[in-house]
Amino acid sequence: MSVPLDLSIVVPIYNEAESLEILHGELSAAVEPLGLLWELILVDDCSTDGSHEICLALRERDPHVRVVRFARNYGQTAGLAAGFDQSRGAVVVTLDGDLQNDPADIPRMLALLDEGNDVVAGWRKVRHDGFVLRRMPSIIANRLIALVTGVAIHDTGCTLKAFRREVVERLPIYAEQHRFLPAMSQGSGANVTEMVVNHRPRIYGESKYGIGRAYRVLLDLMAIKLISNFSQHPLRYFGFLSLLFLLFGVFFASVGLISIDEPLPSQARDWIVKSWEQIALSIVLLFWMLVVFFALLGLLAELVVHTSGMHRRSALSRLLNEQR
Amino acid sequence: MFANEPVVPTPDLGSLTHLEEVARPEVSLDVSVVVPVQSEDGEVRQVYQALGDELDREGRTWEIIFVFDGVQGAAWEKVEKLRAELGNKVRTIHFKNPFGESVCLSAAVEKARGAVIVTSPQYVQIDPIELGDMLAEIENGADFVAPWRYPRVDPMLNRIQSVLFNTVIRTIIGMRFHDLNCYFRVIKREVLEDVVIYGDMYRFLPVIAFRRGYRVVEVKVRHLQEWGRAGFFGFGVYVRRLLDILAVMFLTKFTLKPLRFFGTLGGLVTLSGALLSGYLAFEKIFYDQSIAGQPLLLIAVLLIVLGVQIIGFGLVGEIIIYSQARNLKEYRIERIWE
Repeated sequence: MSVPLDLSIVVPIYNEAESLEILHGELSAAVEPLGLLWELILVDDCSTDGSHEICLALRERDPHVRVVRFARNYGQTAGLAAGFDQSRGAVVVTLDGDLQNDPADIPRMLALLDEGNDVVAGWRKVRHDGFVLRRMPSIIANRLIALVTGVAIHDTGCTLKAFRREVVERLPIYAEQHRFLPAMSQGSGANVTEMVVNHRPRIYGESKYGIGRAYRVLLDLMAIKLISNFSQHPLRYFGFLSLLFLLFGVFFASVGLISIDEPLPSQARDWIVKSWEQIALSIVLLFWMLVVFFALLGLLAELVVHTSGMHRRSALSRLLNEQR
Repeated sequence: MFANEPVVPTPDLGSLTHLEEVARPEVSLDVSVVVPVQSEDGEVRQVYQALGDELDREGRTWEIIFVFDGVQGAAWEKVEKLRAELGNKVRTIHFKNPFGESVCLSAAVEKARGAVIVTSPQYVQIDPIELGDMLAEIENGADFVAPWRYPRVDPMLNRIQSVLFNTVIRTIIGMRFHDLNCYFRVIKREVLEDVVIYGDMYRFLPVIAFRRGYRVVEVKVRHLQEWGRAGFFGFGVYVRRLLDILAVMFLTKFTLKPLRFFGTLGGLVTLSGALLSGYLAFEKIFYDQSIAGQPLLLIAVLLIVLGVQIIGFGLVGEIIIYSQARNLKEYRIERIWE
């Protein structure tokens, strides 16, 4: 069944009835002149506003269009995952269904891929969203992600991204993880770059995001750090953490012992010093217990990685002497 | 060969490791009734007659599969007699040890030839007339028909406990099912081939099917009788129900993001420890109170340590999920138009 194509465009759709026609027109206009074999995969996340019928109508008119419909609403990441799984192109481009991304940017992204990059992430340098609710949290989150994962991408939240097939096949994508895709691909050895893209104000529909995801991003970050940088050797991650606790324990103990020196009535002094010593000791021991605990967790993680064989699967190898 | 010797299916190691590749029998019937028999006094003949008559009246082709969950004796003999009378309408699967309803159902689905699976307890719990309505729901496009016993005939105390359990589950999962404790269910075959269940998940089958994106319909049914203990159950039963609730909450909300669950929990514990320490430091610095003699200090540190440990578990969970992510499909596609 599978015909090798040059380009798959994946668009997760959720209640975008007004935008679909325009989106399809713009995409065709942007991609047709390149003379590639391409397909457009519309992943309908169980829309309720008639988007589905429009998708099917588009498919009737244009043989490039494929429509995937979910059995219930699963969210954007699942939409992207399904698109990736169904895609057949040597390059996979993802973009939003709400027209905020400009399809005219796609040819430039393809050019960047041809220059030897594996992943091109869009960067909405000029954004047309509310500042407090959308842009500020986004800037903070992006800084944090860049800091923690070491992948200097300004705008991880932008859906407009281009991937080479080899990367897509190695990326496990699940659970609201699309903003970490660049970090994860770099973790498996891909060349990641970014490109300034056009960002247009929203015309139709309403925004489907909101604030209040901050602490979740923090937790996800911890997980991503572990997954993208240490999936080959989780013991190091846990070892690093346990070292932290070791130092913490030592620090606590020294502070405790130093602060003992306080003026006290002489008869009470002996007793207090003694109990203070005991307590400082038990606190240090508690922290050192954590050291052992985390080392053991690290071993457990090694076991999981080892038995699953993912250390081999996720590594992106490249034949340097072969021109694409 | 003894006449009544139950035929124990020999385990095929290949099929244990590659469950997906089990050769399934061809679907040649309308309905397969699956009855897990869990005690010797199971009223297999009554179930057979009640459901069989109803299915005949509806004009459907059917079979009935009794799964003996580590049970021998009276019930087994009754089925053997039925089998002698009726031939291949009655089929049996036998487990030497009790494995629970989930395993019974999975084993039966592997052997079933019906396009629709009806599960029934080992006695006539629901008026068989309802079966017609439930099957009609399947024809109207439902994938799973769950019963709601209404009105109920069992003692007040049991009813209150059951309603309480279902309400708690409903609020936790945000679901609309009223009666998870009734196992008289009508299920499309594809659902059971797709959904993996084990242990106590049998009870939550409607919830799991719903989460997988199947259309689950609830139908009010007439309750005829209820087996099992009246009044309070043993202490162990309540503990297990509580664990069930926890498991369902975890599995439905956090399967793919274990760190969200463990991280939130651990974060809260650590935070409370940190607040306690902060309070102690405040006392020490501003009121010059000796904090050494206070057990509060040890408690605070213990809380911090405990919280960090919980977060550590979440990290291992993340590794497990990531390593298995290839095999986990988060979504279920209804249809693809090429």
